[in-house]
Order: sequence, then structure tokens, then C-alpha cells
Amino acid sequence: MTAKRPVDVLEAYNRSKKGPKVAEKVWDYEIIPTSAAALKAKYKLNFGRQIIPTDKSTMNNLFLAGLEMLVETGIHNCDTGRVIKVTEEEVKEGIKRAPKELTLGTNRDAVKMVPRKGNSSAKPIIQGGPTGAPVSEDVFIPMFQSYAQEAIVDTIVNGVMATFEGNDVKTNTPWEIKATLGEIRAIKEATRRAGRPGMGI
Amino acid sequence: MKPWDAHEVSQLNELKVDNSGLVFVAGWLAQGNIVMVEQMPIFGGYAGGIEETAICDVATTLASFSILSGSYHLDGPIHIRWGITTARETLQIAAHAAAAIDANTHLLIANQYYPVAGPCTEMCLLETAAQAITDTASGRELLSGSASAKGVALNYTTGMEARIMGESAVAVAGMKVEEVNKILEKLVSGYEKNYAKAPKGKSFPECYDVRSVTPSAEYLEIYAKAVKTLKGLGVPMKE
Repeated sequence: MTAKRPVDVLEAYNRSKKGPKVAEKVWDYEIIPTSAAALKAKYKLNFGRQIIPTDKSTMNNLFLAGLEMLVETGIHNCDTGRVIKVTEEEVKEGIKRAPKELTLGTNRDAVKMVPRKGNSSAKPIIQGGPTGAPVSEDVFIPMFQSYAQEAIVDTIVNGVMATFEGNDVKTNTPWEIKATLGEIRAIKEATRRAGRPGMGI
Repeated sequence: MKPWDAHEVSQLNELKVDNSGLVFVAGWLAQGNIVMVEQMPIFGGYAGGIEETAICDVATTLASFSILSGSYHLDGPIHIRWGITTARETLQIAAHAAAAIDANTHLLIANQYYPVAGPCTEMCLLETAAQAITDTASGRELLSGSASAKGVALNYTTGMEARIMGESAVAVAGMKVEEVNKILEKLVSGYEKNYAKAPKGKSFPECYDVRSVTPSAEYLEIYAKAVKTLKGLGVPMKE
């Protein structure tokens, strides 16, 4: 049966108020491992030593197993303690709705993200940065410049400013907001210093 | 943030969300922003072994688009013992999940980097190259890194690791996957016995002249050595 409409975060929230109630420990220690193990057996998945798969049946069976896991188990909302359930048709509508291309950055620094399809000769986008690793305030701008000035780097990924104006940056405190905005300003400054003001972050 | 920048929200391990994530996404979508949904499935965690974690990884990736309206998904299968994405098992999980998504959808997918060794070491560069080669040949659209020294030490990340990530990706793009697998077998076998004694390397101020933002002669020599090693393994790195 076709989906009535794709699921968005508002509908996901509504479902997480009414979905099946499941304790988080049961989800973590029973539902997830049991579901994954059953689907591994059902789809006869065994990767052996090969790092990248070369046979289509493994790729397709793994896709079907993952799709079935999402549809059969759903996704748990830790705050409501309930499960957001989606149908296969809704997942497929979500895939259809997803962007087929994106532009990251602007002007001469813009790069286009399009499906590569297998090991295409098209270069993947190279996003340089500390990927969430901690960086001190005093070297934040030059460190990000070290990524932005690399010719092979297309866009920037953030790191975590360890302190802001000497203050500890803790989650759920006002300093979290202050530091995040400071990080963004500093990264933009680093891309400008590298002569690439339009780089996406 | 500008309209051409991406906003990041994380799912939780495994197949979980919280209200704050839903709230963030609702705000960004109302402004038409690019949304990157991140999740790092744990190998050896709740899901279990390699195949089980890969199944969970595919489910998680699909959830990013069908429930959280992501523009692209940032993966990062991570090893429960070593806290890294460059281990054989986590490379296998990432590659199989990427190939499964790539073969069956048009979805835009990315991966993130957590090598065990730190900057200014050949091991760090070779780990990063191994993952870049894996991600590129399994069809990912974006490589995001790198959180060297497991991403936990202050200032232990530099642009040189992004250089090897990009240059090794370009080198293998378009190569037959069977050939890539042969290279990966040799490359990963060369470092995977050394996790327990992996070098922490040097901090950014030790690797670069911070004022001129220039890498040290020592790091450039180590980089050249890593490139030579990769060439010896069959990776057609450009000078």
C-alpha cells in the first residue's frame, strides 16, 4: 500500500507520544541485538574478510535487512520512552524526498554533492577539520586555516573549542551557545585567511 | 551560519533519538537549511558483531532521511575496544553499509575519521588513507576528517591528515574494487597489530609554525614516507 505522506519530525514526535512503550534498557540489550541477529540469519549475511563487497546480492540483502530492521523495530525516543514506528512505504517516501544533490559553500568555493554510484572516478567531497576533537582557543583559527588552505579540501567540519574566553563550555549552559557562535566566527575567519571565504562549513 | 552551510544533529546509539534532536531539525527545516544527520554505530556494542552492526548502520542511515529529513547522512562505525573508525571491522561495516545504500538508493552519504595514532606519525596517515580508500571505493560522496589520536587529545589534529585523506581518495577513485580490496588487505594488515602501542604523535603547535600556518619539515618528511609506502602498496598517489 502506498504511503499517505512522508513522515516529518512533527509526525515523528506525535508517534513517539503514542507508540509502544519500551524501557531503554530493554531496547538496548534485547530488541536491538535480537533484531540484528535474526536479520543476519534471515538474509544469510557473512562478509568474510573482504572489506568492500563486490557481489550485488550481499549489497541488496544487507539493504533489505536494514530496511526491515527500521520497519520492524522502529526508532526509540529516549525522552518519551516510546517507539516511533514507520512503514516500508513511508521509508521509501523519505528516500524519494531526500535531496539528489546539494551545494555546499558559495561562489568560487562552492562544491556540488551528487551521487557517485560505486567507485566512480568522480572525487568525493573532502571535508577537512578536527571532526569534533577538542581545540584550544589560542590555536583555533590557525588550526582551521591549516585545513582551509589545503588545495584538496572542499569544505570544513567543526571541532570543539575547549574553552571560551577562558570559561568551561558545558552542555546545557549559556556558554554552549556562546562558544558555538565563537567557533563559527573563528572558522569563517580561518577560511577568509586561506583566501576561500565561500567555503561551506 | 549561511544557507550553504550544514547543520548537524545526532541520532543516539542504536536507533534512538531524543526530543532535542527533533526540535533542532524542526527549526532548521523551517528555514530551509541543509541538515546533516550523524550517527556512529558501535561495533561490539548493542547490535553485536560485524554483520549485525552493518544491518543497524543501514537502518540508521535510512532513519536519517525518512524520520529526520536529513539532507545527507554522516556515518562513523566505531570499534568498542579501540574507539577508532580505521579498524578492519569498522571499515568492513562502513564499506558494506555504504555499498548497500549506494546500490539501492540515490542517498548522499558521508563518513567520519577517528584513527588511533596522532599527527606527525606514519601510522596516523596510513590509517587515514585506508579509510579514505575504503569510503571512496564503496561509493560515499563525502569524507569528513580527521579526528586524529581518537579525537580526544587537545590540539592533536592538523590539516596534513586531511591532505592524505583527500589525496588517497583521489588516487583510488575509479579503480576496480577487487584491486582496492587487495591494497586494503596489505595496508590494514600493516597497522592493525599496533593499536595498543599507537603513537600519540605531536600537537598542532608542534607540527606547524602557528604564525605562518606552515607544516614542519619533520611532518613533510613523514608525509612523503607515507606516500611512498602507499605507492609501494599499489595506490597511485600523485606527487
